[in-house]
Amino acid sequence: MRDVVVIGAGLAGLTAALRLARAGRSVTLVARGVGGLSLAQGTIDILGYTPERVLRPLDAVAAVPPEHPYAGLGPDAVAAAVTWLRDELGSELLVGDPAVNLHLPTALGALRPTALAQPSMVAADARGGLTYAVVGVRQLKDFPADLVAGNLARSTAPDGGPLGATAAWVDLPARPGEADPSGLTYARSLDDAAFADRFAVAVRDAAGAGDVVLLPGVLGVRPGAGRRLAELIGRPVAEVPLLPPSVPGLRLADALRARVAAAGVRILLGSAVTGFTADGDRVATVTVAAAGGPRALAASDFVYAPGGFESGALAVDSRGAIAETVFGLPLTAADAAGLVGPRYWAPHPLFEVGVRTDAAGRPVAGDKVVHPNLYVAGGILAGPEPWREKSGDGIAVATAVRAAAMIEGGAR
Amino acid sequence: MSRAEADRLRQRLNNELQRLTLDECVKCTICEQSCPVAGVTALFSGPKFVGPQAERFRHGASVDLSVDYCSSCGTCTVVCPQGVHVAELNSLARAVLKAERGVPLRDRLITRTTLMGRAMTPVAPVANAVLDNRLARTALEKVVGVHADAPMPTAHPEPLRAWLKRRPAPTRTPTRGPVVFFHGCAGGYFEVEAARCAIEVLEHLGFEVLVPEQGCCGLAEQSNGLFEQATASVRKLVAQLRAPATGVPIVSTAGSCGGMLKHEAHEILGLDDPGLLDVGARTRDISEFLLELHDAGELPLDFARIDLRLPYHQPCQVRSQGIGVPAAELLRLIPGLEVVESDATCCGIAGTYGLKREKYAIAQAVGRPLFELVAATHQGLVACDTETCRWQIAKATGVRTVHPIQFVHQAYGLGRVIAPSAVR
Ligand SMILES: Cc1cc2nc3c(=O)[nH]c(=O)nc-3n(C[C@H](O)[C@H](O)[C@H](O)COP(=O)(O)OP(=O)(O)OC[C@H]3O[C@@H](n4cnc5c(N)ncnc54)[C@H](O)[C@@H]3O)c2cc1C
Ligand code: SF4
Ligand code: SF4
Repeated sequence: MRDVVVIGAGLAGLTAALRLARAGRSVTLVARGVGGLSLAQGTIDILGYTPERVLRPLDAVAAVPPEHPYAGLGPDAVAAAVTWLRDELGSELLVGDPAVNLHLPTALGALRPTALAQPSMVAADARGGLTYAVVGVRQLKDFPADLVAGNLARSTAPDGGPLGATAAWVDLPARPGEADPSGLTYARSLDDAAFADRFAVAVRDAAGAGDVVLLPGVLGVRPGAGRRLAELIGRPVAEVPLLPPSVPGLRLADALRARVAAAGVRILLGSAVTGFTADGDRVATVTVAAAGGPRALAASDFVYAPGGFESGALAVDSRGAIAETVFGLPLTAADAAGLVGPRYWAPHPLFEVGVRTDAAGRPVAGDKVVHPNLYVAGGILAGPEPWREKSGDGIAVATAVRAAAMIEGGAR
Repeated sequence: MSRAEADRLRQRLNNELQRLTLDECVKCTICEQSCPVAGVTALFSGPKFVGPQAERFRHGASVDLSVDYCSSCGTCTVVCPQGVHVAELNSLARAVLKAERGVPLRDRLITRTTLMGRAMTPVAPVANAVLDNRLARTALEKVVGVHADAPMPTAHPEPLRAWLKRRPAPTRTPTRGPVVFFHGCAGGYFEVEAARCAIEVLEHLGFEVLVPEQGCCGLAEQSNGLFEQATASVRKLVAQLRAPATGVPIVSTAGSCGGMLKHEAHEILGLDDPGLLDVGARTRDISEFLLELHDAGELPLDFARIDLRLPYHQPCQVRSQGIGVPAAELLRLIPGLEVVESDATCCGIAGTYGLKREKYAIAQAVGRPLFELVAATHQGLVACDTETCRWQIAKATGVRTVHPIQFVHQAYGLGRVIAPSAVR
């Protein structure tokens, strides 16, 4: 029997598994597939909008309403968890101060608040008077340099000062004969020093006026390519995360997965958890749909970090009934009627539906803990739409750290 | 072949439950990030395109012919967070494509693994010499399309069955009950040593090891689109493995072939035979089996030291079984053995893929990160669970590549010591 089974390989599951393994627990991590981390921007959001744009995320965390997942944690726990992740991954991958948001350009030329970012991005942090030399790659459709520059030039920095931008293009195929290369193709090519040098020269020669050269987020699958490019280009360089497949997201996910594996976690990837068995009110085993047939995984404690609707952990059936699919946990709403907004970009209260927990992170029905050895973390928690609020990463990390701490400390 | 067969396969494809999973695809591109083939060549448009996307357009006609470049490594299915059976869809689509356009003679030949083993054994030294001969290999490439530099197995002069007959009967009375041993074609004819070690380890642990006469699992035929042949092969094997005993574990040293029994024959060939499902549920990779014993506190840990840094590669088709990395965990129980796990998705060979003239360079590029890891860390030996992957690694790196069970065998002091290749 294992000490802990963690379900989910997203930011929450990986964080919980790593913390527990480092604390000496035997951990099995089981997941249907990899989580959202490798699709995301490769940054760590704590809180970006409340709905006003947030400059100091920890102050905003201290002021959330009582039903928010951050309310039970408080700013200190959130800061400690996010700082731990930053230091664990190291300054090659994550830099920044959880107390202060950066404002980084998006691939449409908007400004996006985030707490931690990769060193290859932070030169673009918007401040009054900064000018960007935006450089697109003709073969790469997801970074429209003219649009990015146009929108940035019309924007004001959070300090109220103006921003400036120029647009330019380079024409440089990564793989001959490829009609529609993704950012990942470029990133793989940029891991090769010879191609990186050719790319740098092309960018240097093409880039217009600007303090910072703004490039598509393809600067190597491995961290570090940005630094070398900046030296060759002769100006600070910043990369902008693109649509999936997101290279900065992949960098972060790869690094975290490697640490989890190195910490001795047994990783069962590609296997869904389909149910569980109980011993009284405790969870005894979870059932895994393994190749060949179902297997039961026994453990003393369980961390359930399966994401939300987007990962299939929460589902709505054809009659509108909302359910949590593995443990049948009580949710903040049971019926989807009226919870989907009239327009695509409208708020959808459905995405606020989720599991509520006690102070230790265990699901509750009313105020009663459902299973004393089951902890939840990440996207399954009830709370505001994370992509609207830009809080999903911080919630995932902080609630995963809490679950691990409670198991280590023996919360009963 | 042909139209009728293509239509039959297409029918199967359309009726497959697999196909329903494509509606789960949210186009997240996680599979794109992980596909080893798309990562190294622009000839393949990647799992999302040839899988759930192209599948919507396969209405009586094959679309996106680049599906032939999918190696069937299964990685896309493993990583997909929505449960889309991408690799299974690709395998079916490729089978239809081949039925429409004809299967090259080469693909028929290289799938006849048992036959090759049987045919080569009596003349092993001669056959091996021929396969080592540059001229012969160039001819083979020209005529048949097997790349002249592709790894080829060495036939063992004594097949496993001959050894089983010759060896003295085990002296220890079994204390733990019977297991059925599945060695695969390679374990029977080429990589006999791994199979012997496994049998001796299992007997040392107190199991009665039943080794039924056994044929090929059909995996190579399946991944070359020869579904009828694959179906016949796996059905025959299922009957053979069920013959000696009911309800006992079936323990396998053939890493990828174990996956064929556990899930691929069911999910790709679409077989629902109760016998197959029974065998699938009972099949355990040897390392998985021993680690289960260890988890239950029933594996003796009186291992002798092996002071060695050992690169270990888990084959893609073992990873796709969702069992973690049992071989690495098991090897780490041996004192002195420093296991360096490769995080390479695939060694490139993917069964018979890397043998083919037109895919050889891709397979080498897929395997490059692994070969570099081996070169940087090895001390004369590499461990890997599947035969074809071992041949690929050994051929590309020049380093002797063996099954993990051979280290367990040595650490239990059962007689043989694995000789490392010279460290370059
Ligand atoms: C399109 C989109 C954009 C977003 N943008 C932002 C943003 O800008 N900022 C932000 O902060 N957040 C954003 N989010 C929210 C994001 O979901 C969270 O930030 C965070 O990634 C959640 O992590 P997680 O680990 O909880 O879940 P996930 O990353 O979803 O991981 C869930 C894991 O659980 C596994 N799993 C699920 N069910 C089972 C099962 N039954 N058995 C086994 N395994 C299972 C999955 O395979 C996966 O490994 C966005 C989400 C989406 C969908
Ligand atoms: S990983 Fe799955 S859901 Fe994502 S694009 Fe691939 S098949 Fe679709
Ligand atoms: S099976 Fe392997 S090679 Fe084929 S599409 Fe999937 S990941 Fe790529």
